[in-house]
Amino acid sequence: MAAINPEKCVGCKICQIYCTVDAIYAQGNKCAIDQDRCTECYVCLRQKVCPRNAIEPVALDGFYKQFQHVMSDPVENHGVTGVTGRGTEEVKTNDVSGRVKRGQVGICIDMGRPGYGVYLRDAEKVAMACAAAGVRLAPAEHTPLAALMPDRTTGKLAEECLHYHLLSVIVEGTCREDQLAGVLKALQQVEKEIDTVFSLGLILRMDEKGKNPTLACLDELGIPQPHRGKVNVGLGRPLCLE
Amino acid sequence: MTHSLHRSGDIESQKKDFNWFMYQTKGINDVNIRDKALEFIAAAEAVGSENWGDVKTGPITRYSSEAIKAKITDKSRIRGVFTKREQVRQFLTRIKERELGMSVVITGVLDEVLPACEEAGVIPHSINYSLGVWGKKDKLPDETTLSITTMCGHHMIPPKFVRHIMRQVEKGRMTPEDGAIQLANFCYCGIFNQVRCAEIITAHTKA
Repeated sequence: MAAINPEKCVGCKICQIYCTVDAIYAQGNKCAIDQDRCTECYVCLRQKVCPRNAIEPVALDGFYKQFQHVMSDPVENHGVTGVTGRGTEEVKTNDVSGRVKRGQVGICIDMGRPGYGVYLRDAEKVAMACAAAGVRLAPAEHTPLAALMPDRTTGKLAEECLHYHLLSVIVEGTCREDQLAGVLKALQQVEKEIDTVFSLGLILRMDEKGKNPTLACLDELGIPQPHRGKVNVGLGRPLCLE
Repeated sequence: MTHSLHRSGDIESQKKDFNWFMYQTKGINDVNIRDKALEFIAAAEAVGSENWGDVKTGPITRYSSEAIKAKITDKSRIRGVFTKREQVRQFLTRIKERELGMSVVITGVLDEVLPACEEAGVIPHSINYSLGVWGKKDKLPDETTLSITTMCGHHMIPPKFVRHIMRQVEKGRMTPEDGAIQLANFCYCGIFNQVRCAEIITAHTKA
């Protein structure tokens, strides 16, 4: 983790503008890092923002602390999925991996995004709401959060991880197309129960003409039709036709 | 990760903001990717990709093209920025012709991206649609700040740093373009659109 060496800090507060989650505060005539709020994103360390080099790395103590850092710092590869960033493949390689197949919807919930951060207790609430609505939460070989989830059928996380604060983490899974409306209703409910934000992505498999009518259900739920998309153009090989 | 998907801000501004990606699939085509990565970079540079990079090294706003290319490994993630639909069309056309077999993703406003795909003769296999931000949205920064911070989807750009840069521009200490480069340097991936950022800074400061 990162900590500010009070012997070196001159209290200039320059570092405060570089913290992604406002975790650096003034303590007397020095600065300090709120270790409960810090996500271990390492922006302050990698960008060398302190003119006195007072921000120093401290060994990450234990699995959850390392998980917090890997999820918050995109330079790191996740140990199981092998992917940088938030450690998931989602639509990126779906033309080869076939993770989301015809008739399915990929649910991709970026907890804490944009830029606010998320305590894992809130990620758990959303994961449990998804599971209860019929989402099959992704396994550990596909998505990092599953490593903290002893039972993927409920979405409940390990008790000892719930107080960790991450820059973001993805709740990921699939449901059938006919379950989507129910899942979205569950998300409309749980968004009122969390103390953070999330950005929602829905992954759909296109037909031979590049179309899929599944999102028509958004209108009935009062959810605006999306104007942005991340388009996998189908040039990966071997091509998954499922 | 969906780090290019959830950008925000004025739609007309977003229409000048595209991201391109090359992806290897773990266990299938993720070995000896270097030559293919170099072909992607060559195609992107040929059509004028305004920013690009590798998360393992950094963006070309900060490092030389040669330095980034020299450090490409099988763990690299190559991606970048276009500001025009025509660049997307030309890039996809070139990559399709090369038959490299790597997954290719284009993110942006669908009314722009999908016609570019059609013009290039590629058919979308799958799409991750953005349904926007949910939850306690009152905790978020103002829309102008968000339109800049969301261009680094990993959120390596602190909101207070954006406001600091805008103040510096207002005081005449740097140009909007220089400010945009400073912000772009915080996005390791190279998907930050510094051209759009400079336009946003210009539009929202009294520089």
